[in-house]
Amino acid sequence: MKKPMNSRLIRVQHLALAICTVLFFQVSGVGAQSIWEAGDPIGGQTLFNTNCASCHKITDEVLVGPGLYGIQDRWGSSDDMLVQWIQNPQEAHESGDKYIKGLVDRYVPTYGWMTAQAVSKEEIRDIMAYVSNPPEVIGGTADASADCPTIDDDKVEESESENAIWFLILFVLFITIALGASGVKRSLTDVLAEKNGEEMLPDSSYMQRLGGWIWNNLVFVSLLGVFFVLYLVVAGYSALMDIGLYTDYSPDQPIAFIHSVHVCENEIDCKYCHHSAYESKHAGIPSANVCMNCHKAIKKGKISGTVEIEKIYAAIGFDSNSGTYIDGEGEIGNLLPQDSYDGEPIKWNKVHNLPDHVFFSHQQHVTVGGLQCQNCHGDVSTYSVGRIAPVEEINELVDAYPGLIQLSKPTLTMGWCLECHNKAEVDMTSNGYYEELHERLNDSERGNEELRRYLEDDKITVRELGGWECSKCHY
Amino acid sequence: MANTKKYWSGLDELDGTDAFQEIQSKEFQEQIPVDKFLADEKLNSTTTGRRDFLKFMGFSLTAATLAACETPVIKSIPYTNKPAEVTPGVANYYASSYYDGMDYANILVKTREGRPIFVKGNAATGTGAGKVNARVIGSVMELYDKARLEGPTKNGEATTWSNLDAAVSESINGNGRAVVLSNTIVSPSTRKAIESLGAEHIQYDAISYSALREAQAASFGVNAVPHYDFSKAKVVVSIAADFLNSWLTSTQFAPDYASLRNPNSGSQSKHFQFESVMSMTGTNADVRTMISPSEEGKVAAGILAVLKGGAVSNLETKLSSRVKAAANALSGSKGESLLIAGTNDLSTQTIVAAINQLLGNYGTTIDLERPSQAYRGDESAATQLIADMNSGKVSTLITYGCNPSYDMPNAQAFNSGLAKVSTSVSMNGVADETASRSTFVAPDHHYLESWNDLSLRAGRIDLVQPTIEPLFNTRAAQESFLVWSSAENADWYTFLRSQYNGDYTSDVLYSDSDWNSAIHDGNMAGNEVSESPNYTASIETSLAERKVSKVKGGDMELVTYVKATAGAGQHAANPFLQETPDPVSKVTWDNYVTMSKSDMVALGLNTYIAQEDLATVVKVTVGDKQIELPAYMQPGQKPGTIGIALGYGRGSNGEKIGQAAYQTGEKGQHLMLDSGLPMPIGVNAFPLTSNSEGNTIYASYDVNIEATDREYPLACTQIHNTYMGRDSVVRETSFDSYLAEADKPKGKASWNMAHALNVHDDTNNDGVIDARDKENTSEFDLWHSHPVKDVGHRWGMTIDLTTCTGCSACVTACSIENNVSVVGKDEVLRHRDMHWIRIDRYYASDYSLEKGADEGVGVISSYGLMEDPAENPQTVHMPMMCQHCNHAPCETVCPVAATTHSNEGLNQMTYNRCIGTRYCANNCPYKVRRFNWFNYKGHSKFENVNPAHDSLARLVLNPDVTVRARGVMEKCSMCVQRIQSGKLEAKKAGTAINDGEVVTACAEACPSNAIAFGDLNDTGSQVRAISENNRSYHALEEIGVQPNVFYMTKVRNVDSNEA
Repeated sequence: MKKPMNSRLIRVQHLALAICTVLFFQVSGVGAQSIWEAGDPIGGQTLFNTNCASCHKITDEVLVGPGLYGIQDRWGSSDDMLVQWIQNPQEAHESGDKYIKGLVDRYVPTYGWMTAQAVSKEEIRDIMAYVSNPPEVIGGTADASADCPTIDDDKVEESESENAIWFLILFVLFITIALGASGVKRSLTDVLAEKNGEEMLPDSSYMQRLGGWIWNNLVFVSLLGVFFVLYLVVAGYSALMDIGLYTDYSPDQPIAFIHSVHVCENEIDCKYCHHSAYESKHAGIPSANVCMNCHKAIKKGKISGTVEIEKIYAAIGFDSNSGTYIDGEGEIGNLLPQDSYDGEPIKWNKVHNLPDHVFFSHQQHVTVGGLQCQNCHGDVSTYSVGRIAPVEEINELVDAYPGLIQLSKPTLTMGWCLECHNKAEVDMTSNGYYEELHERLNDSERGNEELRRYLEDDKITVRELGGWECSKCHY
Repeated sequence: MANTKKYWSGLDELDGTDAFQEIQSKEFQEQIPVDKFLADEKLNSTTTGRRDFLKFMGFSLTAATLAACETPVIKSIPYTNKPAEVTPGVANYYASSYYDGMDYANILVKTREGRPIFVKGNAATGTGAGKVNARVIGSVMELYDKARLEGPTKNGEATTWSNLDAAVSESINGNGRAVVLSNTIVSPSTRKAIESLGAEHIQYDAISYSALREAQAASFGVNAVPHYDFSKAKVVVSIAADFLNSWLTSTQFAPDYASLRNPNSGSQSKHFQFESVMSMTGTNADVRTMISPSEEGKVAAGILAVLKGGAVSNLETKLSSRVKAAANALSGSKGESLLIAGTNDLSTQTIVAAINQLLGNYGTTIDLERPSQAYRGDESAATQLIADMNSGKVSTLITYGCNPSYDMPNAQAFNSGLAKVSTSVSMNGVADETASRSTFVAPDHHYLESWNDLSLRAGRIDLVQPTIEPLFNTRAAQESFLVWSSAENADWYTFLRSQYNGDYTSDVLYSDSDWNSAIHDGNMAGNEVSESPNYTASIETSLAERKVSKVKGGDMELVTYVKATAGAGQHAANPFLQETPDPVSKVTWDNYVTMSKSDMVALGLNTYIAQEDLATVVKVTVGDKQIELPAYMQPGQKPGTIGIALGYGRGSNGEKIGQAAYQTGEKGQHLMLDSGLPMPIGVNAFPLTSNSEGNTIYASYDVNIEATDREYPLACTQIHNTYMGRDSVVRETSFDSYLAEADKPKGKASWNMAHALNVHDDTNNDGVIDARDKENTSEFDLWHSHPVKDVGHRWGMTIDLTTCTGCSACVTACSIENNVSVVGKDEVLRHRDMHWIRIDRYYASDYSLEKGADEGVGVISSYGLMEDPAENPQTVHMPMMCQHCNHAPCETVCPVAATTHSNEGLNQMTYNRCIGTRYCANNCPYKVRRFNWFNYKGHSKFENVNPAHDSLARLVLNPDVTVRARGVMEKCSMCVQRIQSGKLEAKKAGTAINDGEVVTACAEACPSNAIAFGDLNDTGSQVRAISENNRSYHALEEIGVQPNVFYMTKVRNVDSNEA
């Protein structure tokens, strides 16, 4: 359903190669045709997205460079100058063109020089065809996000406690009605008895009569009692077992970050932001400067507009109007984040809380074990903020992720860890470390004995190599 | 010859005191004191009835249960702008250097998330084999001292740098005399920064070696402390020089010395020690002879006489023969020997220089061409300065890197002079004795926050680099000098760089690959400057000989010395170092008078030391100065002498030098003096030193000592954790006995026989079943098989008792690496110290019951035959930590399986499973398990000692190791966090673990490489080879628990008949 990031990268590389080739064999003077005519808007879109989109929008909004909306109408210089401007801005400036000079004076002091783009005149023609046509005419821009879930910000989750309250109210109502009915019945019986001249029932209290009723129905009540006690024990036990379980835990975050937009729609690989999962025990929460790699350009979110993104800017000291960073003195115009800027860091609420006495290492599982993120974190591409995926939900992903290990214990419990360590197989052949361990087992009598025991089920599991031992995780 | 020595940890054990008998039979000394609690009078007057009690209990239980259900919200705060080199969860190491005027070391600083948490030796590029001692390892703690000044002060009030700079600059540039007083500066750039000030610069050393330097000047024309190369010295004769612990830059000597001690090479250096106090170096000597300090010169003169073919004079017969033996050993090893003396007496040092010249040691073991730059203090200039200050001739005094108000012999005169200096500036980081008396304090960075260049010897520059942003508003002292000198560019880093790159400027991106690689390695080549020593001192020598012969000793003589933990007082507020037991006396948190048993008995003092056996306080009078300290019975102390450690009694005027620098009471509160000031630990002994011919003399020949009626508890660990009467832990032999059987297979040599049991079977095939039919203990086992032999990893350790010097660097390193709780004196007194590794120090007397029986003497008379075992015993240091038994007694008794065996041979301790029954500790034959009696990180009793208490000191904790909770057992984990991370690195690289890649904190810290760590299942590993060596054995082999720790029989280079 989603393309992995690297295939996209490869595509870009191919494209760049193609562009270079085209440039190399470029034949000049393709024609007297205007640059604004006869371009291919579809090819132009691709070219625009690869080369231009990080700095230019097709609306009139200024990103890093000016928005390109209506460029065909406002370009005040020659077609050749446009090509030269795109291919080598500084050279174009040196030519002394007045319009270019105006552009440079207006934008360069704030945003710096535009990078020279390796695109041919033909390609520029295609790009211009794309930007001078409104994108909806071309269509298909939302393709990537078609399958992605829409996250509703105001989604109210119905909680179990609310159900319980309704249940309680109904129960009280029922008792009241029942007692009321019983009172009415009793009055009627009394009236009837009086009328028939019979002796009235002794005026006993409800409790006395309840006692009497119990005495008469002793077997039934005892059975009921036994069941009630059993119910309490079972319910109590399961309630106790739920202490410390945070399945489906998804606390509010200071920034309403939406994983689905980043992971599903924009196809950003997990390790782009959580790169330390590959080199540290922590997967890490990306620092604001990592966010800024994209959000320097993307200033407006799909759902929350600028509100959430502004919080990143406030933390790192980014002035979105000028597109530059603020320093400790409050001065703008810096191209890199300034350490002197004293911003309030973003205080995320930790989602995956392990007790202090647990040592868990992401790199062991991801880099060495080759586990997919989904195996423990579920389909993050459907989440808004971070969340602990219930184990059932993770198990359903097995079709999409063939290597996924199916588990039954609740996520993030020790049972869950141990279950996986019991099932997961260790590849003893493709890592020098395990190869050597394997050789040692092969080389000695005692080792051979152990190895045979390991291989009774035809595989060497993490558990057999010590994955169930206390000091693997607790020290 | 089997070893027939008797080993004993203290006099209490040797004499079998009642207190010791009781200690021996119990694992935990003071149980929860129920008797005491119930006997409390107040208990009857309490108003809480039974019903109330139950109510409270019910309420608490419910409240606790409810509170436990709450989900704590934990914040996770990433960097806003993450530095590229920092990855949360991954440690970074930076090469740096340590110098505090005393210790010098090339170090690696481990930082996590930008904060230094561990200091270790830089083995790759360091000098002195890149080894460090306990003091250097502990120094990281001082970075996070709450007592550090948070900015500049004026008269104790906070001020701004600009105000301070204006006042100080004005004063320096004024008409009066301006002086910078510092310790010996070995940094070339710092020297230049001080020079730029245009003020006079006087250096002095807290522990002075001026006589040694002057002797070189008089004899060779080079006024410097020579460099000593112990790696070539096959015979070492030390006259009261504690060169493994404190003499000169001792970190540089210990590894070299140890390299010649390992007998496996077929040779072993011979070490003679003549001294009065039992020093750490003395405990390692092959032949240790007790002398009085007044005899030091005579011993040197005696050696010279013997070397010249004469006879020893002026010394008693027994001593003369020892001197002769030492002299003969020296002359038998010309050019490959060393004679050193610890004294600061010029005559003795002149004779020592003459002897070394005669032996041809200059140029081989002694290098005066490229001498040490350390210890260049000018004592006469310092003395003159004090006089000038007192006569009002000094208007500005800047003290840097020193604490003269505390450690000058005439500190009182200095203090009165300081009051007369109109502008006094101290650059110390805490408001210590000098800083609190100075007008201004311009606090310097901690060394882990600063840049510097150090040059201990010409030809090499060691670099100091910051490993953390300055925690407070402090400023590099050098920058202060530059600011005050009105330098054009006062930036210290720019100044430092410009010394090596003339064209360096700070405003452009300047890259220099030479500098970058120098910073990476921690050093670079410096200018080669060599001196040309030329011996000319025969006349001076004969004068010196005459002088020493006239020295008259007194009835009682005093020696002041430096301890391995406190140094010269720099580390007084360091809880890790204070709690590390002294390598010799095993006393923590204290200062005391060391005395011989006979002197103590004569004075009627208590010679035992236990929780209930309090030490007697004695009054020591030297001239007009008196101090009172508890007396400690030190075996090996020369009768007629006493020893007092320097470096104690810090903050005696209530200076804010750090919480841990003061005595704490039963509830952890600071004890107060009558004056209302907090009670310092011990007494400052610097005032007891004297000055002779311009040199500070650390001994006194005329001392009076008398008993007082006061008693004082000393927290001494020597009789903690005994083996309940089993004394088979130590194996020892002499070098010739070792050589005689060096080729025998393991378990067959007489000095390391495998333990065997009698069997009812004709095992020796002589046709009779008798007492000679024995089988090795290892053949008997309750268990089926060895669980981890040849399967996967088997982590193990080997400890060579021959090279272990007892220095305790491992203890400090272990405590910091593993977040071992510091518990304070009161708890140590109750036998509740938490150290995962301890060093059992045994005294050995050369007479035993067996030997007595062989000679046909009765038990009582056989003891009588030993002169007095406590007089001058031999010493063995034995590091002891969890032995990770493969058939562990602790594992079988744990009711909740909280301690289990891993398939890598580790005895695992799972804190979150432990319910605190303490069965395991009771069943541990090695007594290495520690129980968390308190919530050390939260209980108010420990707030003055435990670093986990305040938010600043807590930063030193290792984030990879759990801080243990109350009620759980803990013990050595063999640094399992390092094992796990080492395995992970190997897996990531896709290679097998190479030997030496995983190493425990103790093995890494060991300056003498006595401890080795590795995989016993790896056939190529060092530990595997050592474990198969015929010197290796298991401690308490007879109980058959199959430990993963091997010890190596101690070999002493003595003849078997003198052993």
